[in-house]
Amino acid sequence: MRQGVRTTTASTSAVVNCCHFTMVALGLLASFGTTAAEIDPASWPAAWHQPMATASELGLTHFQQAPMLAEQVAAGTLPPLQQRLPTDPVVLQPINNIGQYGGTARIFRSDWDKLNNLEGPLTVDPSAAKILPNVIERWEYSDNNQVLTLHIREGLKWSDGSAVTAADFIFYHQHVTLNTELNPITAPQWVGSQITAIDDLSFRYEFPQPFPLLINIMAQIGDYMLAPSAFMQQFHPAFVDRTQLLASIYAQGYVSWMSYFNAILFWTRNSQPLAPTLRPYQMVERTPIAEYYSRNPYYWKVDPEGNQLPYIDKIRAEVIDNADVMAAKASTGQVDFAAFEMKTQDFPLFKLGEKTAGIKVLVWHRIHGSDVIIMPNLTIDDSRLRTLFRDRRFRRALSVAINRDEMNSVIYFGRGTPRQATVIPTSRFYAQEFAQAFAQYDPAQANSWLDEMGLIDVDGDGLRNFADGEALTITLEYIDFETPKNISLELVVSYWRAVGIDLRLKEVDQALQYNRATGNLMQMTAWHADRSTDILFPWQPQWYVPMHIGWEEAHWNSWSIYYLSGGARGEQPPAEIIQLQDWWQELTRSAEPARVTELGRNILRSSAENVWTIGTVGLAPQPVIVSGRLHNVPAQGYWGWDNRWTMAYHPATWYLTQ
Amino acid sequence: MSSPQLLQDVSSARLTWLRFKRHRLALASGIFLVVIYLTAGFCEFFAVYEPNSRNPRAIYAPPQQVHFIDPVEGFQLRPFVYGYHLTINPDTWVREYTEDHSQKFPLQFFAPGEAYQFWNLFGASRHFVTVPDTGYLHLFGTDKLGRDIFSRVLYGARISLSLGLLGVALTIVLGVLIGGLAGYLGGMVDNVIQRTIEVLQSIPTLPLWMALSAALPPHWSPLGVYFGIIVILSFIQWTGLARVVRGRFLALREEDFVVAARLLGAGRLRIIFRHLLPSFMSHIITTATLAIPGMILAETALSFLGVGLRAPIVSWGVLLQQAQNFQVIILTPWLLIPGVFVVLVVIAFNLLGDGMRDAADPYGGSNSA
Repeated sequence: MRQGVRTTTASTSAVVNCCHFTMVALGLLASFGTTAAEIDPASWPAAWHQPMATASELGLTHFQQAPMLAEQVAAGTLPPLQQRLPTDPVVLQPINNIGQYGGTARIFRSDWDKLNNLEGPLTVDPSAAKILPNVIERWEYSDNNQVLTLHIREGLKWSDGSAVTAADFIFYHQHVTLNTELNPITAPQWVGSQITAIDDLSFRYEFPQPFPLLINIMAQIGDYMLAPSAFMQQFHPAFVDRTQLLASIYAQGYVSWMSYFNAILFWTRNSQPLAPTLRPYQMVERTPIAEYYSRNPYYWKVDPEGNQLPYIDKIRAEVIDNADVMAAKASTGQVDFAAFEMKTQDFPLFKLGEKTAGIKVLVWHRIHGSDVIIMPNLTIDDSRLRTLFRDRRFRRALSVAINRDEMNSVIYFGRGTPRQATVIPTSRFYAQEFAQAFAQYDPAQANSWLDEMGLIDVDGDGLRNFADGEALTITLEYIDFETPKNISLELVVSYWRAVGIDLRLKEVDQALQYNRATGNLMQMTAWHADRSTDILFPWQPQWYVPMHIGWEEAHWNSWSIYYLSGGARGEQPPAEIIQLQDWWQELTRSAEPARVTELGRNILRSSAENVWTIGTVGLAPQPVIVSGRLHNVPAQGYWGWDNRWTMAYHPATWYLTQ
Repeated sequence: MSSPQLLQDVSSARLTWLRFKRHRLALASGIFLVVIYLTAGFCEFFAVYEPNSRNPRAIYAPPQQVHFIDPVEGFQLRPFVYGYHLTINPDTWVREYTEDHSQKFPLQFFAPGEAYQFWNLFGASRHFVTVPDTGYLHLFGTDKLGRDIFSRVLYGARISLSLGLLGVALTIVLGVLIGGLAGYLGGMVDNVIQRTIEVLQSIPTLPLWMALSAALPPHWSPLGVYFGIIVILSFIQWTGLARVVRGRFLALREEDFVVAARLLGAGRLRIIFRHLLPSFMSHIITTATLAIPGMILAETALSFLGVGLRAPIVSWGVLLQQAQNFQVIILTPWLLIPGVFVVLVVIAFNLLGDGMRDAADPYGGSNSA
């Protein structure tokens, strides 16, 4: 308790210092006074930045459990606590104080995994810059980085009481990841990989090439690397008779054993059987209006006083599909935690709720390097547009024509950071000049570059024409999804119109976005630049290197396809792009930290100079709504896919009062 | 002079006008509508800004108050507005605008302001009312991008009001033509038309409108969508009028005055246009006048639901679509101002229609409406 209080005090003063510094340094946000988009790491407990301590290290010998579980132990339906906890339980430091047991947290369905976050083999620190142990206690790479040996924490149990062993990883790798019925296309990182048990708690992965980034993957999507094998084998045809299995599955209305298997493992069924878990809560039931979760009696983390976590007994995750209704419920305190569906523009509404409904509105920052990035298609079939888009002056001109400070003030209340798409400042690859390259507002410069390119307004309509006099219009297709793309792009239209570029917006639906983006049919599209941290940037630098195709990007598909197909399809990229791909290839295999940093910076420097994509405002404020009765939620945090939203902020330590 | 003599002396048109003038509400509504239609027609001149001009200094700014009294100089004849002083309240995150008394923008009438293309014909920059270049004038406040609501309401009026008129014109043509055919020809033709009308009327209108508008190709130009919506709205509306016209034709065909005209040797067309149509002109006028607000409301409803007109076209429905969520009521209620205009125009048209119905039948017995 005392420790918690001390931490808080220290962090408050640190926040103030940080703000002063940033304000003086930038001077941009002066009119808004109080915050900057960068978060001081001292606002979180020091313990969160380190591998989690264990009970023996802190001298904890005595453990308590929730009253709800004590009753079950007394009734004989549950083994005593000492038998359920691992040999040396993990100790989590709550950010403010020791919590109290009980209560049902009310949330929306989309926030279920924010409160009941994954327990992967590894995890990340709150700055999303460091990889920390979790289920795996320690790991060693071989000298050539081709073999990774891992050691599971001793005595861990799934929520049904069965032990967590190397067999759980081996089952997942051999019978899920590499099973061609469940996964017809093996993810690239697993091609040619092997897994071998060393003993009950140790095993190793082997790869045909060095793979030092495997630990990043284990930290970010590690929930796709292990499963309760003893339980799941009942539903897998490699372990039970296929005919019998299929007969029972068809009787339940499933069309294949794969869909049944996945529904059990990923909790998309309405009732039991549902796979046991390592998460703080086990799913109990699902109805059309809500999902219900109950505490995992075998959860393996405790607080510094030896209380088994989580503090909260149950979760009720309500299914609502209307964003306005969700905003209304959140702002009036009808849910205990809401964030995923909460919109930046609704901050004033939530703030009103602070006065009337006693909620707390926390300002986290989205982990996106740029909340909206604009991607001109460098490999579009239309040869005139392609020539135009490939001209660096054109991309630079479009970039400096955007008034990012105004966007920041109009859309983000001045609380974002005007910048290009690049990694966030906590990254080892970050350099300020990458973030600020061609991010200044300079329409005169934009005009002079465009004039220089021969794009002149010949018909006097205020819009530039191609050199041959044809009208120049660009269509940007997008979906208004997750970040405020609509209003951002509306502003971009007016900035570009001011320098004579005619941009037309077209909102499309999700299926069309997928087909047209992956089909190389879009002239331009927009997305948010996630994957901008040390966790995901080295592994998926898709905004900066053509190495991936998907619905979120359309800036160089033909080059990506060429790369992914080994030159069989697509279009051969120019030398400087091949250089990018080579740098990235080397980065994924290099074990030498200095070299990795250098390669990452090379890639980002190229992006800064060439403006492959056009960034707007990054580290945007994300409303995190907390009811008056939910405590221990950090006041600041990074919000996004890279760090799985709340994973590093330990939702198991959050608690409810009445 | 006794009134019976007078009744014979004055023409029916004059009588209609006299009768109409007695309905004061209708008269006032008529004047209001003339004014607002003129304003809409010349909205480039009456608006302060173009509908898509943004003022980054005023995002979600409330309406400016027009002042006559200066704290220093006292009363002055030329009205003025104060500029905004913007602070983002660190507690509420609300953009708070207060009047900045150091910035005073006098209103200038018939003065040059933002340049525009009048009816796409010639360039001009004179506005009915504007403020000097350094200032800004937002009589109805601004929206999320700092666009002037007053100007957008006027540009929206052009679209919404003209759409009502054009739609009703199309309705009348269709209704009189098809209803006339049914009534005059009767028999099989009448039967087919009547059944078609019944089928059309049995379909709930809003879902049908929505389905038809959703079917408008998304790549159509804004003007194409505009005319598409007009056709869609008229597509349902003509049925009611056609029924009335047909019924009237059937009834009047056998009236004594028609028989008399026929016996005197009048031709068919003369009978229809000289004797039949005038006798139910009042019906057509009333139906038409009452149908215009229906059209305006329908367009507003469709655009509000996001299946009617789309940005960059500005109509009242498109404006109201931005005011759709409840946050607006709490934080930015001035975004609802276009709704006030919809209500006023609809009421005015109903009152006008009421007055015109009475007036169009000047020989009708009762004085009451």
